[in-house]
Amino acid sequence: MSTKYFAGVAQASSLLGWLMQAVQPALRGMGFLLCFAALPALAAPAPSARLSGRVLKADSDAPVPRAQVRVEGPTLVGRENSQIIQKLKADGRYQIDVPPGAYDVSVTAPDFEEARARVEVKAGDVVERSYGLTALQRSPYRVETLKLPQQMIGEVSGVAFTPQGSLVVTNRRGDVWIRRSVDGGWRRFATGLYEGFGVVAPDESEILVVQRPEVTRLRDTDGDGVADVYETVADDWGITGSYHEFSYGLARDRAGNVYASSGLCSFGRGVDLPWVRGPLQTAQYMPWTGTGPVPDGHRSVAAFQGWAFQITPAGKWIPYASGFRQPLGVGISPDDELFISDCPGAWIPTSTLTHVEKDAFYGHPDGLKWHPELKDKQLTIAELTALRRPPSIYLPRGLMGTSPGQPVWDRTAGKFGPFGGQVFLGDVSPLLMRVDLEKVAGAWQGAAFPFLRGQGLRLGGMHHAFGPDGALYIAQTVRGWMSTEGNEGLQRIVWNGETPVEIQTLRLSDRGFALRFTTPMAPTAGEVARYQVKRFQYNYHPQDGSLRINQVDVPVTAARLAADGLTVELELLEVQPGYVYEMVVSRDVQNRAGQPLLNTTAYYTLNRLHNGETKPGPTRLVAKAAEPLRPGDATRGAEVYRLNCMVCHQADGKGSPQAGTPDYTMAGGPLTKSDAELIATITNGKLPTPPAVLPMPPWGNVLPPQAIRDVVAYLRQTYEPKPAR
Amino acid sequence: MRVSIVQRLAFSVLLPLLALLPTATGRAADLLRVCLIGPGPSPAAFPAGLRAVLEKTPGVACVDFAQLGTAEVALFYRGPGSRPAGEAKAVEEFLHSRSGVVVLGATAEAWSAVPEFVPRTLGAVPGGPWAGGAAMSVINMFPHPIFAGVTRFETTQPMTGYAKLADDAQMILEGTVGEETTPLGWVRRGAAGRLCHLVPAETGVLQDANYQRIVVNAVAWAAGRPVPDAKPAVQRTFMPDSHPGSIALTFPNGPGVCLDPVRGGINYLWDGDFVDLRPRWITKQGAPARIFGDVFYVEKAPQPLRLGAPTAESKFRFRGYGLKDGVPEFHYEIDGRDVYETITAQADGQGIVRTFRVSPGTRTLWMNFEPQPGAEVTTRGLERDGAAGRFAAPGGGEFVVEIRRKAGGAIR
Repeated sequence: MSTKYFAGVAQASSLLGWLMQAVQPALRGMGFLLCFAALPALAAPAPSARLSGRVLKADSDAPVPRAQVRVEGPTLVGRENSQIIQKLKADGRYQIDVPPGAYDVSVTAPDFEEARARVEVKAGDVVERSYGLTALQRSPYRVETLKLPQQMIGEVSGVAFTPQGSLVVTNRRGDVWIRRSVDGGWRRFATGLYEGFGVVAPDESEILVVQRPEVTRLRDTDGDGVADVYETVADDWGITGSYHEFSYGLARDRAGNVYASSGLCSFGRGVDLPWVRGPLQTAQYMPWTGTGPVPDGHRSVAAFQGWAFQITPAGKWIPYASGFRQPLGVGISPDDELFISDCPGAWIPTSTLTHVEKDAFYGHPDGLKWHPELKDKQLTIAELTALRRPPSIYLPRGLMGTSPGQPVWDRTAGKFGPFGGQVFLGDVSPLLMRVDLEKVAGAWQGAAFPFLRGQGLRLGGMHHAFGPDGALYIAQTVRGWMSTEGNEGLQRIVWNGETPVEIQTLRLSDRGFALRFTTPMAPTAGEVARYQVKRFQYNYHPQDGSLRINQVDVPVTAARLAADGLTVELELLEVQPGYVYEMVVSRDVQNRAGQPLLNTTAYYTLNRLHNGETKPGPTRLVAKAAEPLRPGDATRGAEVYRLNCMVCHQADGKGSPQAGTPDYTMAGGPLTKSDAELIATITNGKLPTPPAVLPMPPWGNVLPPQAIRDVVAYLRQTYEPKPAR
Repeated sequence: MRVSIVQRLAFSVLLPLLALLPTATGRAADLLRVCLIGPGPSPAAFPAGLRAVLEKTPGVACVDFAQLGTAEVALFYRGPGSRPAGEAKAVEEFLHSRSGVVVLGATAEAWSAVPEFVPRTLGAVPGGPWAGGAAMSVINMFPHPIFAGVTRFETTQPMTGYAKLADDAQMILEGTVGEETTPLGWVRRGAAGRLCHLVPAETGVLQDANYQRIVVNAVAWAAGRPVPDAKPAVQRTFMPDSHPGSIALTFPNGPGVCLDPVRGGINYLWDGDFVDLRPRWITKQGAPARIFGDVFYVEKAPQPLRLGAPTAESKFRFRGYGLKDGVPEFHYEIDGRDVYETITAQADGQGIVRTFRVSPGTRTLWMNFEPQPGAEVTTRGLERDGAAGRFAAPGGGEFVVEIRRKAGGAIR
């Protein structure tokens, strides 16, 4: 990766641009009335800065096709996932207006390495920065697009294979098509379904499909290759007219149980109240206490939305587990265990892959209003936190996409390369991910890797299946979420037989991690300096997604490459549970043939140590960082305040009723708290207290600890009420 | 044994059309007279291959332009072309005569003799070559009797793009290139008669047996005659005034049925043979499907079928449906008792016949009825008791409910 920086700071007035950027998500997300209501708040003058530049190929200065720039930062809390994403046009130019503050910028494009940067801007700044992206290494995996019958709308929403090897697909228009293994001919097996969204195929003549209102068994009883029975297997959950309450699935275990799930309703958009199947409960399980609009409108308004279901072979429908937001990917592991992927938003800080156990709760509380024992309990956040099972795998936004699809396990006995037993899942973005799970102290956790980013891979990888040919088939649909130029449908990933240079597994050890490579590596793989490790956490809160919090570098203290060059043992200064570990391997690490790694980044979700410990203990890393901290410097704090805090807390420290920020100058105000309390609030953020409008964002992952001390000193010196004489 | 193309055509296309021959239930024992018109006075202006197909179609009589006034349907290839004033007037009169019109690949030039046709009658505005002349990636045939017996229709030929589809124009065929779509076929049913426009009409498709079948079907449909092999269409979707997941059951000659598996009954019947699901499909947020035609029967009360008493709290469960020769039989459970319902259309499309098959059981099955200002409801095998009817045979059996639109009956 190389980043070109063309410095340039100029004054600019871009209030209108910022306002438009602020309004657009409201238009998309809240409907006209809410958007209109939001306008007066947005109409107040707000200082802004501009990030602009181009995204170019590192080796040619030509624009990178299909690039996007993603900006994340605390001042964007309240927006979808606290971020702005701009998709670039053919000239590769971006221009993003933001409030003053500090931002993480990520630049991605299919077939190119990601570029990242940290940018801080003051009001009126125009920061011109161009990014040069390095092309990804060509992978030995080929992406092929399958030709579909011309009569079939290519919104392919489900894919499976029959035991006889015939390919079965569903599309969102309501068809089920089969490509027969015997002659390769396509036949429409069934039609007239209401948004088929997943399929399992126990037999050529019996196919199970989840459509929006039910799980249906399709049977061809007269052998003409077309279903003549559409049997309702289960339809016990609630539905409304909302566009965004998909029924997901399907997966089937060895006992014949079928698993499906229901996403939350996008409340306020198309809920036709007289026409709800089952009871309707629009109030939130845990009401939003802010005065502004609820940050994420996804809500369990009809029965058991946000749940996973089990349907027994006898047809009994069982609410199986709760706490999901959009549990899009439902899969069964080789050990016959249920895994579900979920999409980020409120209470789900980033995409996840979770081992789902019966009666467990996985985070989003709104579905608890249908829980037989918890529906009236009014659990607190602390109680929810205790009840919540963490995901097996966090899929950090950016390199690991935004909305993951169905997990499938490589059981091809080597036909798909050296990743047997591992999990593959797509994303709404053109991305295929790989997950290496391991059971640690009785629970699944492990590492996630990007696998394919480009090479013609299309958007909308929602469902997957390995075919008898060993290829991975991907059903793709993105209706309305983003422009596809018609490029959705069905693709397959075929391995050409060459060994990919990859981290094959990343496993937890007692003192760090053990990496296994797919090919023997050169001695550089045994050098400590080739590994950069960070760890971070996510907030569990009702806001829309979470930024990384408590992020810190974790020094690698030792690296031992095995004689065969296949494994390296890394020791870290500290291994703590309760964090996601990001590992970036230097591109200098190559195999013995001089080939670099195809993917150099991995994310390990460390929920528990081998000894079963799940709670982080005292940390040497913080202690090490805290050691040199000086007493707060009010002069330095003034600049920190001006850059980061003043937009909401105002220059006079009296706060803003509009932003819901408090008056520091009043007696009995926030400055009556101790320094430690103030530092904790600034570091971790705080939910709004009515009539506050916005939450206090967490600054701990933006400002260094010393800067937070400095700003507290500034607050005390400048705004603390003086005792009356 | 080798089968020639002609033989294959005869089996696959022409034989099913024997049903176009007059039947006891069809109209009077006359042939379906179709006037074939091309863009010019010469009969040769109409494609010879298509003419041959129609001439060989049993039950169809092809007539020349001079006999236009005697035809049930005018089949235009492109349009009538430039015509003397008298002939143009004859076309104009035909368009207003409540007769059927089928147009293949209309062009403004071919309708220069009747300039009002393209802007007012056709039902959409031509916009020149569509998608820059790119080859189509998808052609979607929506469930409509015109596609009866056609399993595939494909073409990659460039098409004219159309926009501003009239409110009453029902798109039945849609083409896609990338994310661009255009109507490739639509129908209108109005006071002036039935109209069908098929945009594809290039040389390649004219020779396609599937296309020829579509044209012959369109002629039958435009005449209001039964389309051979046409089956009811069953589609689950979000219908207006109904629970999401309701079933749109449309019959080839009407009516349309909205069956609500949550409420447990027919929410309404409308005068139509098509439901437009595109509002559900074409945007991210979607909208309920669209129906065309008068609604003449409406139910609102919860769950008409009860076990034990007309007001008993009986658990209704929808269990799915089976298809027998394309006709659906719906399966319900009323307090665990199996009840099956087959719905068929009255021959003229102005009502339905509901045949209930009831499994054995000791408790009386009740069916509640609501006043129907737009329709007459009659029953057989059901003992009427006020606003309800009882079925008490413990060994099970059958009863029939017939719903027929009253003359001019329409609720909305």
